[in-house]
Amino acid sequence: MDVNHLTDQQSMYDIAIIGGGVSGLAAAMYAGRMKLNTVLIGYPPGGVIATTDWIENYPGFISLSGKELADKILAHAKEYEVDMVFDEATEITRDGRCFTVNTAFDEYQAKTVLFATGTRYRKLPVPGADTFEGKGVQFCGLCDGPMFQDKLVAVVGGGDSAAKEALILAQWAKHIYVIIRGDQLKAEPVNMERVKKTEKITLVFNTNVTSIEGSQGIEKIVLDQPFEGKNELVVKGVFIAIGSLPLSQLAVQLGVKTNEKGEILINRQTETNIPGVFAAGDVTDTQFKQAITGVAEGVTAAYQAYRYLGGEFVCTCVDDDYLDCPAAPEDLRGRTE
Amino acid sequence: MSEVPEDIEETVVQRFNEELKDPVKLVFFTQEMECPFCAQTHKLLETVANLSDKITFEVHDFVKDKEKAEQLGIEKIPAVAILGKKDYGLRMFGIPSGYEFQTLIEGIVFASTGKSELSPKAEEALRKVATKPVKIQIFVIPTCPVCPVLGAMAFQFAIASANISVDIVEIAEFPHLAVKYDVVGTPKAVLNEKVQFEGLVPPGQFLTFIQQAAQGSPTGISPTI
Repeated sequence: MDVNHLTDQQSMYDIAIIGGGVSGLAAAMYAGRMKLNTVLIGYPPGGVIATTDWIENYPGFISLSGKELADKILAHAKEYEVDMVFDEATEITRDGRCFTVNTAFDEYQAKTVLFATGTRYRKLPVPGADTFEGKGVQFCGLCDGPMFQDKLVAVVGGGDSAAKEALILAQWAKHIYVIIRGDQLKAEPVNMERVKKTEKITLVFNTNVTSIEGSQGIEKIVLDQPFEGKNELVVKGVFIAIGSLPLSQLAVQLGVKTNEKGEILINRQTETNIPGVFAAGDVTDTQFKQAITGVAEGVTAAYQAYRYLGGEFVCTCVDDDYLDCPAAPEDLRGRTE
Repeated sequence: MSEVPEDIEETVVQRFNEELKDPVKLVFFTQEMECPFCAQTHKLLETVANLSDKITFEVHDFVKDKEKAEQLGIEKIPAVAILGKKDYGLRMFGIPSGYEFQTLIEGIVFASTGKSELSPKAEEALRKVATKPVKIQIFVIPTCPVCPVLGAMAFQFAIASANISVDIVEIAEFPHLAVKYDVVGTPKAVLNEKVQFEGLVPPGQFLTFIQQAAQGSPTGISPTI
């Protein structure tokens, strides 16, 4: 896998794609295919989806892991001339109609920017959560589950992520308590069924964790409602699955508008309020955030960047028009769609 | 996993054909008794070595070949030293199965090419901070999909700097080390026994930890992926 692969730092890229998740990788594939001089800057390669154990709702693949999906799109993108820089963008500035992207070591210039920066895990704002972060308060069941073999653990959250996290942990943990703020687990029906069938998972409704306590490691969590007659639950690990926060800070610094959640506002063409700046995937205000919707936005953004740069190639026109499309790159004619 | 699945084998063979340059030697340390994963690791490494003419496989008994083990810094088994034209300090302890199979392949490719994929400026920054020997231990488990990202990055630092050596340790096989280094989540990195961090960090931040380790200043953070 490339890490910090770099070809020509001095060149002006047509598009700088910020983010190494599936949305960014798909955009890179399309941009490369449309012969845009493309650089993708993102870390880690594959993004957060790489920590998902299984994906069963990406059309064309009945079931595969998040990492498999990311690796497949990455490999596809590498089929084209795309520079991959697996590092974090630290600053993005605009000078006229051009943009400069900085990483810890290098600088890249581009005519357009696509933010596909995704999200980060939301932290649980209770005493002990910071103290034990990485020491029992974890965010990745797949990464850390085996360290809790035959132990009692809690999952905090009431959505599909919490359900999936509990199911992953069931491979190793002795028992899993899912602490849910509301009165139901809002998981995909298929995952809900799996949770119901897994005896070692107990759902605890209408309950909040108020603190995480212990000395050398986690010993218990304190609940605001009694569970089985007690306000304390003995666990050795707490997995947080309470949603995520958009990584839109770099975009905001550039003047890109966001909503009250910090999600980048885009239109159906993935355009932001700044000409030449696009956004795709989980960082946007799209309501239904899925790998497939992020990928779709990524490729839309790549196409819109192509148009913004003067391309006239229209992917959606009928075959006859398509062949006559004057700006279509030679090697694309008759090969797409 | 003790052998390489067919579809993965095909991909690895293609990659080896395209990317391997100099010969690579996998020096494996094992023993017959009291090593639950040695036999599986042996089989896996032997299979991988057979995927390219440029890879040779050498087996040593950890007890009988003590001198060789000490020479290569092997203190526990199963272990493999990945040697290229020279010893870049790439080591893996425990079976490189699951997602760690990817780290093994990356290590072989890096040892063969002798080149990192770091940018010239990143390599320059590394040279400036790695002024003294820094041993990086990265604790992983085979189910951790992001662990190979950190492992591959550390391997590249070792390729680019003679002062860096890297031990990838499958922590489930060495529970005493999980206790010693307080490993609750993976990946976890420990540098020169003093500096440590959990989770993934981007290259620039990793260099800061290398600098601290080279300077002997203890620290620790817990970034989350």
